[in-house]
Amino acid sequence: MALPIRILTAVPICDGHDSAINTINLEFIRHGIEVVYLGFHRYAGDIVRAAIQEDVAAIGISSYNGGHVEFFAEVVRQLKRRGASDIAVFGGGGGTITHDDASLMKGKGVDEIFFAGTSLTDMVDYVKKHYGKRRKTRAKLKPDLVLARKLTQLEDAAGKRSPRAKHQTSNIKHRTSKVIGITGPGGAGKTTLIDELVLRFLTRDRHSRIAILSHDPSVIGEGALLGDRATMINSQDDRVFMRSMATRGQAGGLSPATEGCLNLLAHSGFDYVIIETVGTGQEALPFRRQLVDQTILVMNPDYGARLQLQKIVMLDVADIVVVNKTDLERAKSALLEIEQRLIQNKRKQQIVATVAKRHRDAGVDELYDLILGTR
Amino acid sequence: MSKLGQVVEAVEKHGRFVVDQVKRARSDEKFGRELAERWNKIKTETPITRAPTGLPLPRLALPEIDEPGEIARYLFGDGLPGEFPFLNGAYREMYLESLQNIDQGGHGNKRSTSTNGAKLQKNGARPQEEPTRLFSGLMLAEDTNRRFHFLSAHQRSKRLSTAFDGLTLYGIDSDADGVFGKIGEGGVAIDTVEDMVRLYDGFDLGSPEFSASMTISGPAPIIMAMYIAAAKRRFGSGVVPKLRGTIQADIFKEVQAQNETIFPIEASLRFLCDMIEWTATNMPRWYPVSISGYHIGEAGSTPVQQAAYTLSNGFAYVELLTARGIPVDQFGPRLSFFLDCGLDVEYIALARVSRKIWAIGMRDVFSAGPRAQMFKLHTQTSGRSLIAAEFKNNLTRTAAELMLAYMNGTNSCHSNSADEPFTTPSEEWIRLAAHGQAILLEESGIFKHTMNMLSGSPGMKAVERAVEKAILDEFRQIESLGGVLAAVENRYQRSQIQSAAHRYEEQIYDGTRPIVGLTRYRDGSDEMPEIELARTPRSKQRLQIERLTKFKKKNADKAKRALDNLAQAVDRGENSFPALLEAAEVCSLGQITGRLQEIVGRFRPMV
Repeated sequence: MALPIRILTAVPICDGHDSAINTINLEFIRHGIEVVYLGFHRYAGDIVRAAIQEDVAAIGISSYNGGHVEFFAEVVRQLKRRGASDIAVFGGGGGTITHDDASLMKGKGVDEIFFAGTSLTDMVDYVKKHYGKRRKTRAKLKPDLVLARKLTQLEDAAGKRSPRAKHQTSNIKHRTSKVIGITGPGGAGKTTLIDELVLRFLTRDRHSRIAILSHDPSVIGEGALLGDRATMINSQDDRVFMRSMATRGQAGGLSPATEGCLNLLAHSGFDYVIIETVGTGQEALPFRRQLVDQTILVMNPDYGARLQLQKIVMLDVADIVVVNKTDLERAKSALLEIEQRLIQNKRKQQIVATVAKRHRDAGVDELYDLILGTR
Repeated sequence: MSKLGQVVEAVEKHGRFVVDQVKRARSDEKFGRELAERWNKIKTETPITRAPTGLPLPRLALPEIDEPGEIARYLFGDGLPGEFPFLNGAYREMYLESLQNIDQGGHGNKRSTSTNGAKLQKNGARPQEEPTRLFSGLMLAEDTNRRFHFLSAHQRSKRLSTAFDGLTLYGIDSDADGVFGKIGEGGVAIDTVEDMVRLYDGFDLGSPEFSASMTISGPAPIIMAMYIAAAKRRFGSGVVPKLRGTIQADIFKEVQAQNETIFPIEASLRFLCDMIEWTATNMPRWYPVSISGYHIGEAGSTPVQQAAYTLSNGFAYVELLTARGIPVDQFGPRLSFFLDCGLDVEYIALARVSRKIWAIGMRDVFSAGPRAQMFKLHTQTSGRSLIAAEFKNNLTRTAAELMLAYMNGTNSCHSNSADEPFTTPSEEWIRLAAHGQAILLEESGIFKHTMNMLSGSPGMKAVERAVEKAILDEFRQIESLGGVLAAVENRYQRSQIQSAAHRYEEQIYDGTRPIVGLTRYRDGSDEMPEIELARTPRSKQRLQIERLTKFKKKNADKAKRALDNLAQAVDRGENSFPALLEAAEVCSLGQITGRLQEIVGRFRPMV
């Protein structure tokens, strides 16, 4: 099977028009493309950084608020400056981008502009035709790009189950980073929590570097929408290296290449590597023994009846259980029930109550201290 | 049960009440007779007007019924224009030409002497203004100002509507990194109170014939403060209570559809309520929030979703404000609404039903008086319905939408320019769009002679019933998710809108939704028509940055103090608006946004 094409899509700064791109993303996914979606109102610098880290073949920009000639050119310019001019740029803007604009933009290095009336199928065909081929890794690459291309090789190799993938997974010892595994059901707020932790990592230690390995499910027989970046505001930073991975058919919350990628990241000079699973079910035990140094289970207070807690296997193995969204009515009894469940385990597991959506939340501060304390 | 659940019950209860009144009118002879007498009185007292051809017509059209039950159904279920539940209109006369040349009463021949529509009309109707709002915003403040003067030159009343550029909408200064090309694009660039002074230069902001509408939500309280500061600079502080206009300030629809939110939801709502509390006391003629379905519709919702989310957002604001202890009759009359009007069949009655549901909810759930029950509506024709291919067809699309908007009794209306799929509209097409409204209201006899001229056809009633039921179903869904705020945080409305948008696109390409010039009757030429593009020259963009740099340098010390005061007010949890007013005098938009974000955080986008 051909390896999935990875592209990144985004809407420029000061532009919230995401209706078109949402529709286009869905169409790409249906046709087997993995789309890293960065969201709306994004700076050129954020788009370029993400594209490099994600090692995508191309960047698709949907612009409706004007200033597109300058914005697209800026993206191309920054790609070049960061040694990633082999990442292509295409886009569209309904009727707001004229044919004259488009020629101007193409002159500045943009591959293609889709005009109003272009069918979704035409766009998919274009991407498949032009961005399907893997690029060669060149010798002189900036560090982030080197790392990103190696991750792609690992991911591709895992897909083909080549020996190389196996070799990479064995090296768990001698890591230089602390690896934190974060898991929990969908909708518990894992991504928001990670982004809030990143804010604290960045502001309280002026030199720390963080890597995030985030997972989203592949749709069966189709591509994947890798959308965690779109809701992250603090992780758009040069000190954060984030990689979004599709599960590519593997059940359990991670991808076939996760271990290999994780080990590479944990040897790449980051202080912390955070790994986020897809939303998991009750029986999930996503982290193999010793894969991570610390396991955090994030829960939503609305898990249903108390009996449900007995079925959640991760409650037995997590080092820290975070009950997020504790502004919800049900939070008080949830905290009590989970605490009692943890006492049965007699493992000195920690429980933290957070409201990650709240700025400067004391619960997230507490979680941050717990992570630091056990280092 | 949340207030929204109570609204559902109230609307259903009202439906049963109407049925009961119908039965009573038929069984209770005295009641039936009273109704019939009232009905006859209304009809005989309705003035007769004459078309230019001499044809006599009643100034208010009513159904031809004489049976007490049917009279009850009409009076209680629909209401006369200006009467609960306002199905036919929030006001009595709306678009009617003034009373000259009109025979008074069915048999009177007394001539009215009232000639000027700007004066108060007889029988207590509100002063007449053109329902046309002129929307503009491009380049720098002085460019938009020039456009405003051009557009309003022949208007009695100056009703200006302002579009801001992306930077302003996101509370970012023009001198920020990486935003240069965006300055003055898609709207006017506003960084400081000095820009605001330039923007409305030459207009008498305190005049009863002037009103300003500002299409901005995320940083709305800051922009409002700048507007007040600019008005004070030009006319002294005595002008503040006289200021008329609307600021959009609708946070819920931003999070649901338009994505121009800059603070976390709770903080945004707090700053909004701070502003509304202040203006409700100090600016009694101002509409401090325009509860908007337009952007929900434009983002791809169905018409029913648009109305349901808009109304439920409105009720959520009322709940927040009453929870602060502000009397509903103080702020309720200052709430206004903004809906999209496209070509889907629902638009035949969407605004009518919305008016009714709002009135019932406000009266029966929030105990609001008559003025707060009125759903005051601004409509804009649908931008999304406009197509780039063979774009002149957009004139016809907009004309049909205008017709629907006025059939629904909108209080004011903006008609889109045919060139909108390409750019900020150019003067030629704006003129044609504005003239479209004048042709409909002034030239044609459709709306100017008779109220209710096109109301209440069997088709319209059928759409009303179907739409009302569907809106209540949406309310129930939101209620089951824990109310508006909880549903918003769980991105319910967003995902519904996105699904609808996707379906719409698919329907265009599978032929369910034919688009003339695109999927049908295409002439084969894919050329872009020649249009006059309104792009901001680099020299202007640089000028804006120079001005901002000077402003910041000049006010550096004062700005620091003002921002510290603002931060303290926010931290103390008091109403932040007075401190914001002080800050707006000496700080730029970006300085204020930045400081507030340090305290309350930034908005986390939803996908």
